[in-house]
Amino acid sequence: MPITIRYVAALRDRMGRAEDVLDLPPGIADSDALVAHLRASRPEADMLAHPSVRLIRNEDIVPRPAPLADGDTIAFCPPFTGG
Amino acid sequence: MARIDTAIIETDLDPAAELAALAGRHDSDGGIASFTGQVRAEPGLLALELEHYPGVTGKALDTIAQTAARRWKLSTAVIRHRAGRMPVGTPIVFVAASAPHRREALDAVSYMIDMLKTEAPFWKRAHTQTGSNWIEAVADDRKAADFWMDQIASEDA
Repeated sequence: MPITIRYVAALRDRMGRAEDVLDLPPGIADSDALVAHLRASRPEADMLAHPSVRLIRNEDIVPRPAPLADGDTIAFCPPFTGG
Repeated sequence: MARIDTAIIETDLDPAAELAALAGRHDSDGGIASFTGQVRAEPGLLALELEHYPGVTGKALDTIAQTAARRWKLSTAVIRHRAGRMPVGTPIVFVAASAPHRREALDAVSYMIDMLKTEAPFWKRAHTQTGSNWIEAVADDRKAADFWMDQIASEDA
């Protein structure tokens, strides 16, 4: 399943990249499973599991875990600090 | 039907002009409240930089303004939020509410600025004399947003 993963702001710096484009193996149905998949190969992905991390799926802010579909863009975001 | 007027601004934000544009617009309104946030001087701080998530931020601002307008029966809800790099003293955010009575306008402004802190995808980076760092979320901001969310959820129940 093709998917685009974005790392935003501080998470981009800590992951050392802005984006990954991956073809996920079968069985990764939601964002929690995606995080587990990423953690298996990259220790720095541990931070994506932190409860404060917010998710944007395509163009919507969504609660975790978010279901995943073919072609989705999922952004992992640190807590928002606007205003 | 309330007027919802939100924007993300990459250049200068002029709070005085924004407020002047609201004055006298609705004869049935008795109160216009506003809040302006600006870059506060801190030791060593040169500038703040605001990053946001295009395609999502605008919708988040609209949702906050629409919720305020519905909850406090506003005639107008305005949000202006800067993005990009800003030196000390630069306005970052302007929020305003126009309503028949002052209490509604004042509470709506409190709600909107509290929600902007935690529910719109902006991230602040501090540029200092020794480098740059991302600013961490403040627990009290989360508490303020949760207070309003609980209030609105209990009223909608």
